[in-house]
Amino acid sequence: MAIAKAERLMNLALCLLGTRRALSKRELRDSIEAYVEAFQRGSAGSEESFNRMFERDKDDLRELGLVIETVENLDGDVGYLARRDSNRLPPVAFDPEEAAALGLAAKVWQQARLAGAASGALQKLRAAGLPEETGPESTHGALEPRIPVHESAFEPLMLACRDRRPVAFDYRKSNAVRPEPRQVEPWALECWRGHWYLAGFDRDRGAERVFRLSRITGKVRSRAGRFTAEVPDVVTVRETVASWAGEGGEGTARIRLRTGSGYPLRARALSVRELGDGWDELEIPYGRGLDAWLVEFGPDAVVLGPAELRADVVDRLRAVAKG
Amino acid sequence: MTAGPARIARPANAIDQTRRMLSLVTYLKERPGARVADVARAFGVSEDELISDLDVLPLCGTSFRGGDLLDIDTDGEHIWWHNVDDVAEPLRLAADEATALLVAARAVATLPGLRESDRGALLRATAKLEAAAGEAAGASARLSVTFESEGGVFADVDRAISERRRLWIRYYSPARDELSDREIDPIRLVSIGHTYVEAWCRRSEARRTFRLDRVAEIKVLDEPSEPPEVELRDLSEGLVQPAAEDPEVVVEVGPGGRWVAEYYPHDSAEELPDGGLRISLRAPDPGSLRRLALRLGQDGRIVAPRELADSARDAARRALAAYDGLDADRERL
Repeated sequence: MAIAKAERLMNLALCLLGTRRALSKRELRDSIEAYVEAFQRGSAGSEESFNRMFERDKDDLRELGLVIETVENLDGDVGYLARRDSNRLPPVAFDPEEAAALGLAAKVWQQARLAGAASGALQKLRAAGLPEETGPESTHGALEPRIPVHESAFEPLMLACRDRRPVAFDYRKSNAVRPEPRQVEPWALECWRGHWYLAGFDRDRGAERVFRLSRITGKVRSRAGRFTAEVPDVVTVRETVASWAGEGGEGTARIRLRTGSGYPLRARALSVRELGDGWDELEIPYGRGLDAWLVEFGPDAVVLGPAELRADVVDRLRAVAKG
Repeated sequence: MTAGPARIARPANAIDQTRRMLSLVTYLKERPGARVADVARAFGVSEDELISDLDVLPLCGTSFRGGDLLDIDTDGEHIWWHNVDDVAEPLRLAADEATALLVAARAVATLPGLRESDRGALLRATAKLEAAAGEAAGASARLSVTFESEGGVFADVDRAISERRRLWIRYYSPARDELSDREIDPIRLVSIGHTYVEAWCRRSEARRTFRLDRVAEIKVLDEPSEPPEVELRDLSEGLVQPAAEDPEVVVEVGPGGRWVAEYYPHDSAEELPDGGLRISLRAPDPGSLRRLALRLGQDGRIVAPRELADSARDAARRALAAYDGLDADRERL
């Protein structure tokens, strides 16, 4: 049976961490059982496939945070080592409350890669002396924050933002029949109300754009090369998305609302006046999407003004009335 | 602050296992004879997972073949490492590790209504973590998460849970567009985009989930909270989990109504040639979807059940009649 990958990676990590001098690829290949077993000397193509596996293994260890140096000796031979001082966690001490806070934070991600990374971080800190929670029962309340990630574009975009790599993907705008190709320099991802958004530089449009990840269709592809536009110090995703959601609208609208109905409209009303006859008159903020929202209240909400909002609501109602 | 029991199940992953084993040797170095149960809890894994790590470790070594393998063994209860060496030092954090913890901690710290002592602990931990992670912390600025919550309601629910007291709430139901009063015994607060309280509802004698921004009024009562023992659900699949016996609703939407598939858990969403979707979902009370039918306007229509489509059409006609009435009033003036 082939030796498990975790055992191979562990041996490679320990060899690189344990050595004081750089070890050549050949030395590593001859000293790690998994390599010895998989690549019998002299078998055809084994050199090439060993090299591929070795490169992948080094990449995996780097993902775990290991700093692996490549050193060339006087003869031009390449060797590898993971120096203790560049791989050591600096001294850090957490009190029990801080430790509990980190314990909570480590359980928040619902995305496999980041959930694994968060547990891994906590384990490294645990090994460095992070206090353990004293019991299952704490005096504090039960709080469960969860970061949902349903979008398959999330992981490739997260890595592209991290490594500052340009990407290409197909994107369907909210009303478009078909998706269109986009080339983007991804800056930052933000989750708001449970949905993920990407801010970045859209190369074809030559300007900053915000994308909703759920509207990305197909695969996110990496593009070679570097960013061409400067990354701003502060990337604001939320403000853009909030304006899509109709927040921060500057105007106001006047509506008639049946008494006792439409609590959410009342909760944000600027003024409410009783009209009698089972109706109230409200002044509410008028932002994007208000027409669609008002239609939800059916015959219980009637727009008095402005005329444009009234026309939008009537159009929507006619579409439904037609069936 | 305690976190609840929900953990997402994931297949065993060689990268995660390697990372865990590297930390494990460092941890064991300081704790000769450590108890399996304690170590498993400290590492957030099951005892079986830990034992499988302990099966691999003696096959790993710091030096050349046949040399210094880790002499780690266990009798199933305690763990010993007989040839402790100095390879096992605490390791620096990787970029993803720092990002995962920092982004989560910052997000939780911004929850409106969180206790100041909890917020303080999160912020102190974040600052220390940033310092310890060094440049690995840099990329964490490229991800951010905001949880929405109603601060005042959150604080009352949090207090009721910790003091084990019952709550009275006036709650808004969007499906019926009405407020209703009920007494609830809160169990836990859950933030997934929005923040919810999961509670035992005394009125319906059932477990219910209430969204905090739909709580119009709240009072912490003097009565003790006595929720029956209920098994906590894993919420990773979402809060709303329709039952198989609920009636089916079929909606056809155009490109402008594709959002329905994101907001409503559904059984299927079939692509239509015009860029739209045919979505089939389940609802305990299809009448509650009348709002959706009205909202969709020209972007979609209810295909089934018929009564739902009829009730939306009827509501729209009655609404239009009000506009006709207003216009008639205006003309008379």
